[in-house]
Amino acid sequence: MMRCDDISEVLGAWLDGQLRQSDAEEIRAHVAGCPSCGEERRQLEGLQKALRATFQSASTTIVFESFWRGVERRIHQKRSWYEDVRRWVRDFWAPPQMAWSVPIAIILLLLGMFTVESFLPGLRPRESRNNFAAVDSIDAFGRNVAVLREDESKTTVIWLYLNQEGEDESSGETSESGRSF
Amino acid sequence: MEFSDWELVQQCQAGEMGAFQELVSRYHQKVFMVILGFLRDREDSMEVAQETFFRAFRKIKSFQGGSSFYTWLYRIAVNMAIDAQRRSKRTPLEFRESMDGAFEEQNEVAKDPFSDLHDKELRENMSRAINALTAEHKAVIILRTIEGLSYKEIGEILGCSEGTVMSRLHYARKKLQVKLKAFLP
Repeated sequence: MMRCDDISEVLGAWLDGQLRQSDAEEIRAHVAGCPSCGEERRQLEGLQKALRATFQSASTTIVFESFWRGVERRIHQKRSWYEDVRRWVRDFWAPPQMAWSVPIAIILLLLGMFTVESFLPGLRPRESRNNFAAVDSIDAFGRNVAVLREDESKTTVIWLYLNQEGEDESSGETSESGRSF
Repeated sequence: MEFSDWELVQQCQAGEMGAFQELVSRYHQKVFMVILGFLRDREDSMEVAQETFFRAFRKIKSFQGGSSFYTWLYRIAVNMAIDAQRRSKRTPLEFRESMDGAFEEQNEVAKDPFSDLHDKELRENMSRAINALTAEHKAVIILRTIEGLSYKEIGEILGCSEGTVMSRLHYARKKLQVKLKAFLP
């Protein structure tokens, strides 16, 4: 036994004559005895009538000869490959067709960034390229240090000569070579 | 002797231009009406209908007869109409004016078989409501109302099942009923 909700879903198909005979008979019997479904049927028939009237009132009989001339002209017109490509691109790049490409483009972009980060670190722009190193003399013996500034908040000082013996030797060397770091 | 559609298609595939002309003469009015249902503009619809037959001519060698010729032809027409509509930059105002022009010309040319429905306001709102439907809903409404095609045929044209056609028609009609509640009897 079909309920009114079920009937509502297939009422249009029933009016269109698109249901099996047994289903159609059951719906006919239900609608005949149900004021609610009867009213729905009446409204649906009204809509169908208005739809047909709308379409038919705008209908126009077209003359075959002039129509055929337009088709024939297109057939005989030599279209260049450029024209075909242009039409294809125009159809393909229409916004609704291209909606899928936006998330794919974002995914590809993220994947590309990840790949560059993980496998080609040398290609990644490095902030340290702006760092600079300088050699400075900080005491009376002329001992040098390398000063490496990695960023604005971090400075590394590297003593270039640590042991005394080496220091003496290197001091001499240093004095000769100067600040040749 | 009158040839069937399939016989004419085979003649076309053999290069017989007269056969294609015969096919065009059989279906040009129907194809035009379906496209007019989408675009609501006679000149645009004429262009797209002619382009539909041109595309059919180019593809006819690939038609194997798996479905009926008109189902195949309507599929091309519906796809082209939907594409043309997407490309169209028409505003609702232009759309309405175009429809008004269609009504006036029709009244001059021939009597409307549904002349008892002269409620211009209803037709204008109906046109607007149809125009607001999705392409899928509009397609089932047009193919069912204008052509009176069966759900099976509509399904073949749109590439979906009969059940999907029934469902789309149900929801499309519901949407129209809601929008036209104040105008329908």
